[in-house]
Amino acid sequence: MRIVLRRTTMVNLIVLAIASATAVAQGPAAPQGTAADATARIVRAAQAVLATLDEAGRAKVQFPFDGPQKTKWSNLPSPMFERQGLLLADLTPPQRSAVTNLLTTALSSDGYRKVTEIMKGDEVLKTGQGGRGGGRGAGRGGPSFGEDQYYLAFVGTPSTTTPWMLQFGGHHLAINLTMAGSQSTMAPSLPATQPAKYTIEGREIRPLGEENDKAFALINALDATQRSQAILNYRVSDLVLGPGKDGRVIEPEGIRASSLSPAHQTMLLELIREWAGITNDAFAEPRMTELKAKLPQTYFAWSGPTTNGSVAYFRIQGPTLVIEYAPQGSIDHIHTIYRDPTNDYGAKFVAK
Amino acid sequence: MIAASIDLGAHRKDEYLQAARIALDPEGAHISLDLTAGIAVADIVLTEIDRDRTGTISAEEAGAYAEVVRRDIALDLDGRPLVVDLIDSRFPSIESMRKGEGAISLELSAVIPALPAGARHLRYRNTHHADIGAYLANVLAPENPQVAIAAQKRDVDQRQLVVDYVLSGDSSTIAASSFLPDVVGALLMCAAVWWRQRSRPGDARS
Repeated sequence: MRIVLRRTTMVNLIVLAIASATAVAQGPAAPQGTAADATARIVRAAQAVLATLDEAGRAKVQFPFDGPQKTKWSNLPSPMFERQGLLLADLTPPQRSAVTNLLTTALSSDGYRKVTEIMKGDEVLKTGQGGRGGGRGAGRGGPSFGEDQYYLAFVGTPSTTTPWMLQFGGHHLAINLTMAGSQSTMAPSLPATQPAKYTIEGREIRPLGEENDKAFALINALDATQRSQAILNYRVSDLVLGPGKDGRVIEPEGIRASSLSPAHQTMLLELIREWAGITNDAFAEPRMTELKAKLPQTYFAWSGPTTNGSVAYFRIQGPTLVIEYAPQGSIDHIHTIYRDPTNDYGAKFVAK
Repeated sequence: MIAASIDLGAHRKDEYLQAARIALDPEGAHISLDLTAGIAVADIVLTEIDRDRTGTISAEEAGAYAEVVRRDIALDLDGRPLVVDLIDSRFPSIESMRKGEGAISLELSAVIPALPAGARHLRYRNTHHADIGAYLANVLAPENPQVAIAAQKRDVDQRQLVVDYVLSGDSSTIAASSFLPDVVGALLMCAAVWWRQRSRPGDARS
Protein backbone atom coordinates (compact mmCIF):
# COMPACT_ATOMS: atom_id res chain seq x y z
CA MET A 1 0.00 0.00 0.00
CA ARG A 2 2.79 2.42 0.91
CA ILE A 3 4.44 1.81 -2.47
CA VAL A 4 1.20 2.56 -4.27
CA LEU A 5 0.79 5.76 -2.32
CA ARG A 6 4.34 6.81 -3.11
CA ARG A 7 3.80 6.12 -6.80
CA THR A 8 0.59 8.10 -6.78
CA THR A 9 2.36 10.93 -5.00
CA MET A 10 5.15 10.84 -7.55
CA VAL A 11 2.66 11.00 -10.40
CA ASN A 12 0.89 13.94 -8.80
CA LEU A 13 4.20 15.72 -8.22
CA ILE A 14 5.17 15.23 -11.86
CA VAL A 15 1.79 16.58 -12.96
CA LEU A 16 2.17 19.56 -10.64
CA ALA A 17 5.71 20.19 -11.86
CA ILE A 18 4.56 20.16 -15.48
CA ALA A 19 1.65 22.43 -14.59
CA SER A 20 4.00 24.85 -12.82
CA ALA A 21 6.43 24.85 -15.74
CA THR A 22 3.66 25.59 -18.21
CA ALA A 23 2.33 28.28 -15.89
CA VAL A 24 5.69 30.03 -16.10
CA ALA A 25 5.62 29.70 -19.87
CA GLN A 26 2.11 31.16 -19.90
CA GLY A 27 3.22 34.38 -18.23
CA PRO A 28 2.19 36.13 -15.03
CA ALA A 29 -0.82 34.65 -13.26
CA ALA A 30 -4.10 36.52 -13.32
CA PRO A 31 -5.60 37.67 -10.02
CA GLN A 32 -6.96 34.80 -7.90
CA GLY A 33 -10.65 34.08 -8.06
CA THR A 34 -11.46 35.88 -11.31
CA ALA A 35 -12.74 34.25 -14.45
CA ALA A 36 -9.45 35.13 -16.16
CA ASP A 37 -7.61 33.31 -13.40
CA ALA A 38 -9.89 30.30 -13.80
CA THR A 39 -9.14 30.20 -17.52
CA ALA A 40 -5.40 30.44 -16.79
CA ARG A 41 -5.61 27.52 -14.34
CA ILE A 42 -7.64 25.43 -16.80
CA VAL A 43 -5.14 26.22 -19.57
CA ARG A 44 -2.28 25.10 -17.31
CA ALA A 45 -4.14 21.89 -16.49
CA ALA A 46 -4.83 21.28 -20.19
CA GLN A 47 -1.18 21.86 -21.03
CA ALA A 48 -0.26 19.42 -18.28
CA VAL A 49 -2.42 16.80 -20.03
CA LEU A 50 -0.67 17.55 -23.33
CA ALA A 51 2.73 17.21 -21.63
CA THR A 52 1.93 13.61 -20.66
CA LEU A 53 1.19 12.65 -24.27
CA ASP A 54 3.43 11.63 -27.13
CA GLU A 55 2.98 13.10 -30.60
CA ALA A 56 0.29 10.57 -31.55
CA GLY A 57 -1.63 11.29 -28.36
CA ARG A 58 -1.49 15.04 -28.92
CA ALA A 59 -2.73 14.56 -32.48
CA LYS A 60 -5.66 12.56 -31.10
CA VAL A 61 -6.76 15.16 -28.58
CA GLN A 62 -6.23 18.37 -30.55
CA PHE A 63 -8.74 19.69 -33.10
CA PRO A 64 -8.99 23.00 -34.96
CA PHE A 65 -11.41 25.48 -33.38
CA ASP A 66 -13.23 26.15 -36.63
CA GLY A 67 -13.54 22.49 -37.61
CA PRO A 68 -16.50 20.13 -37.24
CA GLN A 69 -15.41 18.58 -33.91
CA LYS A 70 -17.14 21.13 -31.69
CA THR A 71 -20.62 19.96 -32.74
CA LYS A 72 -19.75 16.24 -32.54
CA TRP A 73 -21.37 15.21 -29.28
CA SER A 74 -24.28 12.97 -28.37
CA ASN A 75 -26.12 11.16 -25.60
CA LEU A 76 -25.50 7.87 -27.39
CA PRO A 77 -22.82 5.37 -26.36
CA SER A 78 -19.84 4.75 -28.61
CA PRO A 79 -19.60 3.44 -31.27
CA MET A 80 -23.28 4.08 -32.01
CA PHE A 81 -22.01 7.64 -32.06
CA GLU A 82 -18.40 7.82 -33.24
CA ARG A 83 -16.42 10.08 -30.94
CA GLN A 84 -12.91 11.34 -31.44
CA GLY A 85 -10.34 12.36 -28.87
CA LEU A 86 -8.50 10.65 -26.03
CA LEU A 87 -10.36 7.64 -24.65
CA LEU A 88 -9.93 7.28 -20.89
CA ALA A 89 -9.56 3.51 -21.27
CA ASP A 90 -6.41 4.07 -23.35
CA LEU A 91 -4.62 6.31 -20.83
CA THR A 92 -1.77 5.48 -18.48
CA PRO A 93 -2.24 6.32 -14.78
CA PRO A 94 -0.26 9.61 -15.04
CA GLN A 95 -2.24 10.64 -18.11
CA ARG A 96 -5.50 9.79 -16.39
CA SER A 97 -4.40 11.71 -13.31
CA ALA A 98 -3.72 14.77 -15.47
CA VAL A 99 -7.18 14.48 -17.03
CA THR A 100 -8.75 14.21 -13.57
CA ASN A 101 -6.85 17.31 -12.50
CA LEU A 102 -8.12 19.14 -15.59
CA LEU A 103 -11.74 18.20 -14.90
CA THR A 104 -11.56 19.20 -11.24
CA THR A 105 -10.05 22.54 -12.31
CA ALA A 106 -12.58 23.21 -15.06
CA LEU A 107 -15.68 22.17 -13.12
CA SER A 108 -17.14 23.16 -9.78
CA SER A 109 -17.00 20.56 -7.02
CA ASP A 110 -20.69 19.82 -7.59
CA GLY A 111 -20.16 19.72 -11.34
CA TYR A 112 -17.31 17.25 -10.98
CA ARG A 113 -19.45 15.15 -8.61
CA LYS A 114 -22.26 15.13 -11.16
CA VAL A 115 -20.00 14.19 -14.07
CA THR A 116 -18.32 11.34 -12.20
CA GLU A 117 -21.65 10.03 -10.91
CA ILE A 118 -23.00 9.98 -14.48
CA MET A 119 -19.88 8.01 -15.51
CA LYS A 120 -20.24 5.65 -12.55
CA GLY A 121 -23.87 5.17 -13.55
CA ASP A 122 -22.68 3.97 -16.93
CA GLU A 123 -20.45 1.48 -15.13
CA VAL A 124 -23.54 0.27 -13.27
CA LEU A 125 -25.36 0.02 -16.58
CA LYS A 126 -22.53 -2.10 -17.94
CA THR A 127 -22.59 -4.40 -14.94
CA GLY A 128 -26.37 -4.64 -15.10
CA GLN A 129 -26.13 -5.86 -18.67
CA GLY A 130 -23.93 -8.79 -17.84
CA GLY A 131 -20.66 -7.09 -18.66
CA ARG A 132 -21.45 -6.04 -22.19
CA GLY A 133 -19.15 -3.28 -23.41
CA GLY A 134 -16.31 -1.94 -21.34
CA GLY A 135 -13.18 -1.65 -23.35
CA ARG A 136 -12.28 -1.25 -26.94
CA GLY A 137 -14.35 -3.15 -29.43
CA ALA A 138 -16.34 -4.79 -26.72
CA GLY A 139 -19.55 -6.36 -27.84
CA ARG A 140 -18.17 -6.68 -31.40
CA GLY A 141 -19.40 -3.32 -32.58
CA GLY A 142 -22.16 -3.08 -29.97
CA PRO A 143 -22.38 -0.17 -27.59
CA SER A 144 -19.51 0.27 -25.13
CA PHE A 145 -20.57 1.14 -21.60
CA GLY A 146 -18.48 1.90 -18.53
CA GLU A 147 -16.74 4.73 -16.71
CA ASP A 148 -13.62 4.55 -18.87
CA GLN A 149 -15.56 4.96 -22.14
CA TYR A 150 -15.35 8.76 -22.09
CA TYR A 151 -13.38 11.01 -24.44
CA LEU A 152 -11.42 14.24 -23.99
CA ALA A 153 -10.81 16.68 -26.83
CA PHE A 154 -9.38 20.18 -27.11
CA VAL A 155 -11.09 22.14 -29.87
CA GLY A 156 -8.63 24.92 -30.54
CA THR A 157 -5.37 25.38 -28.68
CA PRO A 158 -5.68 25.87 -24.91
CA SER A 159 -5.08 29.58 -24.49
CA THR A 160 -5.71 32.38 -22.00
CA THR A 161 -6.60 34.80 -24.79
CA THR A 162 -8.03 33.09 -27.89
CA PRO A 163 -11.18 30.92 -27.95
CA TRP A 164 -10.88 27.18 -27.39
CA MET A 165 -13.12 24.43 -26.09
CA LEU A 166 -12.67 21.66 -23.58
CA GLN A 167 -14.87 18.81 -24.74
CA PHE A 168 -15.50 15.80 -22.51
CA GLY A 169 -18.15 13.20 -23.12
CA GLY A 170 -19.45 9.74 -23.71
CA HIS A 171 -22.70 7.92 -23.09
CA HIS A 172 -25.18 10.27 -21.38
CA LEU A 173 -22.64 13.06 -21.08
CA ALA A 174 -21.44 15.96 -23.20
CA ILE A 175 -19.57 18.84 -21.58
CA ASN A 176 -18.62 21.57 -24.05
CA LEU A 177 -16.80 24.33 -22.17
CA THR A 178 -15.71 27.19 -24.44
CA MET A 179 -13.33 29.79 -23.01
CA ALA A 180 -12.07 33.06 -24.44
CA GLY A 181 -9.94 34.89 -21.91
CA SER A 182 -12.19 35.85 -19.02
CA GLN A 183 -15.33 34.73 -20.83
CA SER A 184 -16.77 31.23 -20.94
CA THR A 185 -19.86 29.25 -21.77
CA MET A 186 -20.80 25.65 -21.12
CA ALA A 187 -23.53 25.68 -23.76
CA PRO A 188 -24.49 23.35 -25.24
CA SER A 189 -24.00 20.55 -22.71
CA LEU A 190 -25.90 17.37 -22.02
CA PRO A 191 -25.92 15.79 -18.57
CA ALA A 192 -28.05 12.64 -18.57
CA THR A 193 -28.18 9.43 -16.58
CA GLN A 194 -29.25 5.83 -16.55
CA PRO A 195 -29.81 4.53 -13.96
CA ALA A 196 -31.07 7.63 -12.18
CA LYS A 197 -30.54 5.93 -8.83
CA TYR A 198 -28.01 3.33 -7.73
CA THR A 199 -26.07 2.38 -4.63
CA ILE A 200 -22.34 1.98 -4.10
CA GLU A 201 -21.19 0.47 -0.82
CA GLY A 202 -24.61 1.15 0.67
CA ARG A 203 -24.61 4.82 -0.39
CA GLU A 204 -27.47 5.94 -2.62
CA ILE A 205 -26.33 7.90 -5.66
CA ARG A 206 -28.66 10.07 -7.76
CA PRO A 207 -26.57 11.96 -10.34
CA LEU A 208 -29.45 14.25 -11.33
CA GLY A 209 -31.45 13.91 -8.12
CA GLU A 210 -31.27 17.61 -7.20
CA GLU A 211 -32.58 18.61 -10.62
CA ASN A 212 -35.55 16.29 -10.16
CA ASP A 213 -36.32 17.23 -6.55
CA LYS A 214 -35.94 21.00 -6.97
CA ALA A 215 -38.24 20.96 -10.03
CA PHE A 216 -40.95 18.96 -8.24
CA ALA A 217 -40.62 21.28 -5.23
CA LEU A 218 -41.12 24.33 -7.47
CA ILE A 219 -44.15 23.03 -9.37
CA ASN A 220 -45.78 22.01 -6.08
CA ALA A 221 -45.04 25.39 -4.50
CA LEU A 222 -47.11 27.20 -7.14
CA ASP A 223 -50.77 28.02 -6.51
CA ALA A 224 -53.50 26.51 -8.68
CA THR A 225 -53.61 29.45 -11.11
CA GLN A 226 -49.84 29.54 -11.55
CA ARG A 227 -49.73 25.77 -11.96
CA SER A 228 -52.39 25.88 -14.66
CA GLN A 229 -50.18 28.34 -16.54
CA ALA A 230 -47.05 26.24 -16.08
CA ILE A 231 -48.47 22.83 -16.92
CA LEU A 232 -48.72 21.98 -20.59
CA ASN A 233 -51.73 19.92 -21.62
CA TYR A 234 -49.72 17.57 -23.81
CA ARG A 235 -47.12 14.83 -23.44
CA VAL A 236 -43.46 15.61 -24.18
CA SER A 237 -41.62 12.35 -24.76
CA ASP A 238 -38.15 13.66 -25.59
CA LEU A 239 -35.84 16.68 -25.73
CA VAL A 240 -36.99 19.22 -28.29
CA LEU A 241 -33.54 20.82 -28.64
CA GLY A 242 -31.30 17.80 -28.03
CA PRO A 243 -28.10 16.81 -29.87
CA GLY A 244 -27.94 18.04 -33.45
CA LYS A 245 -30.58 20.72 -32.92
CA ASP A 246 -28.17 23.65 -32.82
CA GLY A 247 -29.23 27.14 -33.78
CA ARG A 248 -32.96 26.69 -33.22
CA VAL A 249 -35.11 28.79 -30.93
CA ILE A 250 -38.59 27.54 -30.15
CA GLU A 251 -41.43 29.76 -29.00
CA PRO A 252 -41.46 29.72 -25.17
CA GLU A 253 -44.39 28.25 -23.23
CA GLY A 254 -45.45 27.86 -19.61
CA ILE A 255 -45.49 30.44 -16.83
CA ARG A 256 -43.37 33.56 -17.02
CA ALA A 257 -41.09 33.99 -14.01
CA SER A 258 -42.31 37.59 -13.63
CA SER A 259 -45.59 36.03 -12.46
CA LEU A 260 -43.83 34.15 -9.66
CA SER A 261 -43.25 35.31 -6.10
CA PRO A 262 -39.69 36.19 -5.03
CA ALA A 263 -39.51 32.87 -3.16
CA HIS A 264 -40.54 30.95 -6.27
CA GLN A 265 -38.06 32.92 -8.36
CA THR A 266 -35.30 31.93 -5.95
CA MET A 267 -36.37 28.29 -6.29
CA LEU A 268 -36.24 28.62 -10.08
CA LEU A 269 -32.76 30.16 -9.95
CA GLU A 270 -31.53 27.36 -7.69
CA LEU A 271 -32.94 24.85 -10.17
CA ILE A 272 -31.13 26.63 -13.04
CA ARG A 273 -27.91 26.55 -11.00
CA GLU A 274 -27.93 22.74 -11.23
CA TRP A 275 -26.87 23.19 -14.87
CA ALA A 276 -25.18 26.60 -14.90
CA GLY A 277 -23.19 25.64 -11.82
CA ILE A 278 -21.55 22.56 -13.35
CA THR A 279 -18.75 24.78 -14.57
CA ASN A 280 -16.03 26.39 -12.43
CA ASP A 281 -17.49 28.79 -9.83
CA ALA A 282 -15.63 31.74 -11.37
CA PHE A 283 -17.55 31.14 -14.62
CA ALA A 284 -20.83 30.09 -13.01
CA GLU A 285 -21.36 33.19 -10.87
CA PRO A 286 -21.36 35.77 -13.70
CA ARG A 287 -23.59 33.43 -15.69
CA MET A 288 -26.04 33.19 -12.78
CA THR A 289 -26.00 36.99 -12.44
CA GLU A 290 -26.89 37.26 -16.13
CA LEU A 291 -29.67 34.66 -15.83
CA LYS A 292 -31.06 36.38 -12.72
CA ALA A 293 -31.25 39.68 -14.62
CA LYS A 294 -33.15 37.94 -17.42
CA LEU A 295 -35.41 35.99 -15.07
CA PRO A 296 -38.50 38.19 -15.75
CA GLN A 297 -38.35 37.03 -19.41
CA THR A 298 -37.79 33.39 -18.45
CA TYR A 299 -40.50 30.71 -18.68
CA PHE A 300 -41.04 27.50 -16.72
CA ALA A 301 -43.11 24.76 -18.40
CA TRP A 302 -44.12 21.34 -17.07
CA SER A 303 -45.61 18.24 -18.65
CA GLY A 304 -46.77 15.28 -16.59
CA PRO A 305 -47.87 14.49 -13.04
CA THR A 306 -46.64 16.67 -10.16
CA THR A 307 -46.01 13.94 -7.59
CA ASN A 308 -42.28 13.43 -7.08
CA GLY A 309 -41.41 10.00 -8.42
CA SER A 310 -43.58 10.44 -11.52
CA VAL A 311 -42.39 10.70 -15.11
CA ALA A 312 -42.48 14.43 -15.84
CA TYR A 313 -40.79 16.69 -18.38
CA PHE A 314 -39.91 20.31 -17.72
CA ARG A 315 -38.33 23.18 -19.64
CA ILE A 316 -36.83 26.48 -18.55
CA GLN A 317 -36.46 28.98 -21.37
CA GLY A 318 -35.23 32.57 -21.35
CA PRO A 319 -33.53 34.93 -23.79
CA THR A 320 -30.13 33.28 -23.21
CA LEU A 321 -31.15 29.93 -21.73
CA VAL A 322 -32.82 26.66 -22.60
CA ILE A 323 -32.89 23.79 -20.12
CA GLU A 324 -34.89 20.64 -20.80
CA TYR A 325 -35.33 17.63 -18.52
CA ALA A 326 -36.86 14.67 -20.36
CA PRO A 327 -37.36 11.23 -18.77
CA GLN A 328 -37.08 8.56 -21.45
CA GLY A 329 -40.26 6.71 -20.60
CA SER A 330 -39.27 6.06 -16.97
CA ILE A 331 -37.83 7.91 -14.00
CA ASP A 332 -34.72 5.76 -14.21
CA HIS A 333 -33.50 7.13 -17.53
CA ILE A 334 -33.15 10.91 -17.81
CA HIS A 335 -31.89 13.11 -20.65
CA THR A 336 -31.31 16.84 -20.12
CA ILE A 337 -29.92 19.65 -22.24
CA TYR A 338 -28.45 23.05 -21.39
CA ARG A 339 -28.21 25.69 -24.12
CA ASP A 340 -27.68 29.38 -24.65
CA PRO A 341 -29.35 30.19 -27.98
CA THR A 342 -27.25 33.35 -28.23
CA ASN A 343 -23.93 31.80 -27.28
CA ASP A 344 -23.77 28.05 -27.99
CA TYR A 345 -20.11 27.11 -28.62
CA GLY A 346 -19.09 30.67 -27.65
CA ALA A 347 -20.62 32.23 -30.76
CA LYS A 348 -20.53 35.64 -29.08
CA PHE A 349 -16.81 35.38 -28.30
CA VAL A 350 -15.92 34.47 -31.87
CA ALA A 351 -18.05 37.25 -33.33
CA LYS A 352 -16.07 39.87 -31.40
CA MET B 1 -20.72 -3.56 -4.14
CA ILE B 2 -22.83 -1.87 -6.79
CA ALA B 3 -26.56 -2.34 -7.09
CA ALA B 4 -29.20 -0.76 -9.25
CA SER B 5 -32.56 -1.49 -10.70
CA ILE B 6 -32.19 -0.96 -14.44
CA ASP B 7 -35.13 -0.78 -16.76
CA LEU B 8 -33.50 -1.01 -20.16
CA GLY B 9 -36.92 -1.41 -21.69
CA ALA B 10 -37.56 2.18 -20.65
CA HIS B 11 -35.67 3.54 -23.63
CA ARG B 12 -37.98 4.56 -26.42
CA LYS B 13 -37.71 1.19 -28.14
CA ASP B 14 -41.28 0.63 -29.26
CA GLU B 15 -42.19 4.08 -30.54
CA TYR B 16 -41.62 5.95 -33.78
CA LEU B 17 -40.56 9.46 -32.67
CA GLN B 18 -41.60 12.17 -35.13
CA ALA B 19 -40.34 15.62 -34.15
CA ALA B 20 -41.53 18.63 -36.14
CA ARG B 21 -40.23 22.17 -35.91
CA ILE B 22 -42.24 24.73 -37.85
CA ALA B 23 -40.79 28.02 -39.08
CA LEU B 24 -43.41 30.56 -39.97
CA ASP B 25 -43.13 33.74 -42.02
CA PRO B 26 -45.70 35.86 -43.87
CA GLU B 27 -45.19 33.93 -47.11
CA GLY B 28 -44.85 30.35 -45.94
CA ALA B 29 -44.59 27.59 -43.38
CA HIS B 30 -41.49 25.39 -43.37
CA ILE B 31 -41.45 22.06 -41.51
CA SER B 32 -38.31 20.21 -40.43
CA LEU B 33 -39.40 16.69 -39.52
CA ASP B 34 -37.08 14.11 -37.93
CA LEU B 35 -38.37 10.52 -37.75
CA THR B 36 -36.57 8.02 -35.48
CA ALA B 37 -37.91 4.49 -35.14
CA GLY B 38 -37.12 2.72 -31.86
CA ILE B 39 -35.24 -0.56 -32.10
CA ALA B 40 -38.38 -2.67 -31.51
CA VAL B 41 -40.31 -1.02 -34.35
CA ALA B 42 -37.46 -0.28 -36.76
CA ASP B 43 -38.22 -3.36 -38.86
CA ILE B 44 -41.84 -2.29 -39.30
CA VAL B 45 -40.67 1.02 -40.77
CA LEU B 46 -37.81 -0.52 -42.76
CA THR B 47 -40.19 -3.00 -44.39
CA GLU B 48 -42.10 -0.03 -45.75
CA ILE B 49 -38.95 1.70 -46.99
CA ASP B 50 -36.74 -1.12 -48.34
CA ARG B 51 -39.47 -2.59 -50.50
CA ASP B 52 -37.19 -4.75 -52.66
CA ARG B 53 -35.47 -6.20 -49.54
CA THR B 54 -31.95 -5.51 -50.79
CA GLY B 55 -30.75 -4.18 -47.45
CA THR B 56 -30.13 -0.72 -48.85
CA ILE B 57 -32.35 2.30 -49.35
CA SER B 58 -32.34 3.37 -53.00
CA ALA B 59 -33.15 6.91 -54.08
CA GLU B 60 -36.48 5.67 -55.44
CA GLU B 61 -37.37 3.95 -52.17
CA ALA B 62 -36.39 7.02 -50.16
CA GLY B 63 -38.45 9.23 -52.43
CA ALA B 64 -41.47 6.93 -52.23
CA TYR B 65 -41.38 6.78 -48.44
CA ALA B 66 -40.88 10.55 -48.13
CA GLU B 67 -43.96 10.94 -50.31
CA VAL B 68 -45.97 8.66 -47.99
CA VAL B 69 -44.98 10.83 -45.02
CA ARG B 70 -45.73 14.02 -46.95
CA ARG B 71 -49.26 12.81 -47.61
CA ASP B 72 -49.71 12.16 -43.89
CA ILE B 73 -48.82 15.76 -43.02
CA ALA B 74 -51.64 18.28 -43.30
CA LEU B 75 -51.40 22.04 -42.97
CA ASP B 76 -54.27 24.47 -43.13
CA LEU B 77 -54.49 28.19 -42.58
CA ASP B 78 -57.69 29.67 -41.19
CA GLY B 79 -59.44 26.42 -42.17
CA ARG B 80 -58.19 26.40 -45.76
CA PRO B 81 -55.81 23.55 -46.72
CA LEU B 82 -52.29 24.45 -47.84
CA VAL B 83 -50.31 22.45 -50.40
CA VAL B 84 -47.38 20.78 -48.63
CA ASP B 85 -44.33 20.17 -50.84
CA LEU B 86 -41.36 17.96 -50.10
CA ILE B 87 -38.21 20.09 -50.38
CA ASP B 88 -35.50 17.69 -49.22
CA SER B 89 -35.02 14.31 -47.56
CA ARG B 90 -32.10 12.54 -45.91
CA PHE B 91 -32.10 8.89 -44.95
CA PRO B 92 -29.66 7.16 -42.59
CA SER B 93 -28.18 3.74 -43.23
CA ILE B 94 -30.39 0.71 -42.67
CA GLU B 95 -27.86 -0.44 -40.08
CA SER B 96 -28.26 2.66 -37.92
CA MET B 97 -32.05 2.48 -38.27
CA ARG B 98 -32.00 -1.16 -37.13
CA LYS B 99 -30.14 -0.02 -33.99
CA GLY B 100 -33.02 2.34 -33.34
CA GLU B 101 -30.88 5.46 -33.71
CA GLY B 102 -30.78 6.65 -37.33
CA ALA B 103 -33.14 9.53 -38.07
CA ILE B 104 -34.89 10.28 -41.35
CA SER B 105 -34.93 14.05 -41.93
CA LEU B 106 -37.52 15.65 -44.17
CA GLU B 107 -37.90 19.30 -45.14
CA LEU B 108 -41.43 20.28 -46.14
CA SER B 109 -42.80 23.63 -47.15
CA ALA B 110 -46.12 25.31 -47.91
CA VAL B 111 -46.75 28.67 -49.55
CA ILE B 112 -49.07 31.00 -47.65
CA PRO B 113 -51.06 33.27 -49.98
CA ALA B 114 -50.91 37.04 -49.54
CA LEU B 115 -53.07 37.99 -46.59
CA PRO B 116 -54.23 41.17 -44.92
CA ALA B 117 -53.00 41.91 -41.40
CA GLY B 118 -54.80 40.23 -38.52
CA ALA B 119 -55.15 37.12 -36.41
CA ARG B 120 -54.31 33.84 -38.18
CA HIS B 121 -54.50 30.17 -37.27
CA LEU B 122 -52.12 27.60 -38.75
CA ARG B 123 -53.00 23.98 -38.09
CA TYR B 124 -50.39 21.21 -38.44
CA ARG B 125 -51.45 17.59 -38.24
CA ASN B 126 -49.31 14.44 -38.50
CA THR B 127 -51.14 11.13 -38.91
CA HIS B 128 -48.11 9.11 -39.98
CA HIS B 129 -47.97 5.76 -38.17
CA ALA B 130 -50.47 6.65 -35.48
CA ASP B 131 -50.17 3.04 -34.27
CA ILE B 132 -46.57 3.45 -33.04
CA GLY B 133 -45.96 7.19 -33.32
CA ALA B 134 -44.72 9.51 -30.57
CA TYR B 135 -44.86 13.13 -31.60
CA LEU B 136 -43.26 16.48 -30.90
CA ALA B 137 -44.45 19.66 -32.60
CA ASN B 138 -43.09 23.13 -31.94
CA VAL B 139 -43.16 26.43 -33.73
CA LEU B 140 -39.84 28.25 -33.90
CA ALA B 141 -39.59 31.82 -32.66
CA PRO B 142 -40.33 33.84 -35.84
CA GLU B 143 -37.42 35.64 -37.46
CA ASN B 144 -39.76 37.97 -39.32
CA PRO B 145 -41.02 40.70 -36.94
CA GLN B 146 -44.32 40.84 -38.81
CA VAL B 147 -45.26 37.45 -37.37
CA ALA B 148 -46.02 37.30 -33.63
CA ILE B 149 -47.00 33.97 -32.06
CA ALA B 150 -50.02 34.35 -29.78
CA ALA B 151 -50.55 30.73 -28.66
CA GLN B 152 -49.79 27.10 -29.42
CA LYS B 153 -52.55 24.53 -28.85
CA ARG B 154 -51.94 20.81 -29.09
CA ASP B 155 -53.76 17.57 -28.59
CA VAL B 156 -52.37 15.44 -25.78
CA ASP B 157 -50.07 13.42 -28.08
CA GLN B 158 -48.87 16.42 -30.13
CA ARG B 159 -50.17 14.94 -33.37
CA GLN B 160 -51.88 18.25 -33.91
CA LEU B 161 -50.58 21.74 -33.28
CA VAL B 162 -52.58 24.90 -33.88
CA VAL B 163 -50.50 28.06 -33.97
CA ASP B 164 -52.41 31.27 -33.34
CA TYR B 165 -50.42 34.18 -34.66
CA VAL B 166 -50.84 37.81 -35.56
CA LEU B 167 -49.68 39.05 -38.92
CA SER B 168 -48.88 42.74 -38.84
CA GLY B 169 -48.79 44.60 -42.13
CA ASP B 170 -50.28 43.24 -45.32
CA SER B 171 -48.32 40.26 -46.64
CA SER B 172 -49.15 41.25 -50.23
CA THR B 173 -47.58 44.63 -49.46
CA ILE B 174 -44.70 42.83 -47.79
CA ALA B 175 -44.18 40.73 -50.94
CA ALA B 176 -44.32 43.80 -53.17
CA SER B 177 -41.94 45.71 -50.92
CA SER B 178 -39.28 43.07 -51.50
CA PHE B 179 -39.11 44.22 -55.15
CA LEU B 180 -38.74 47.88 -54.19
CA PRO B 181 -34.91 47.99 -54.21
CA ASP B 182 -34.88 46.48 -57.74
CA VAL B 183 -37.40 49.00 -58.99
CA VAL B 184 -35.51 51.92 -57.46
CA GLY B 185 -32.24 50.59 -58.92
CA ALA B 186 -33.75 50.32 -62.41
CA LEU B 187 -35.17 53.86 -62.21
CA LEU B 188 -31.79 55.22 -61.12
CA MET B 189 -30.06 53.47 -64.03
CA CYS B 190 -32.56 54.95 -66.51
CA ALA B 191 -32.04 58.38 -65.00
CA ALA B 192 -28.26 58.00 -65.27
CA VAL B 193 -28.46 56.96 -68.95
CA TRP B 194 -30.81 59.86 -69.70
CA TRP B 195 -28.51 62.33 -67.92
CA ARG B 196 -25.41 61.11 -69.79
CA GLN B 197 -27.16 61.37 -73.16
CA ARG B 198 -28.43 64.82 -72.26
CA SER B 199 -24.94 65.93 -71.21
CA ARG B 200 -23.16 64.99 -74.50
CA PRO B 201 -22.50 68.34 -76.30
CA GLY B 202 -22.76 66.93 -79.85
CA ASP B 203 -25.98 65.15 -79.13
CA ALA B 204 -27.45 68.17 -77.51
CA ARG B 205 -26.78 70.36 -80.58
CA SER B 206 -27.79 67.96 -83.32
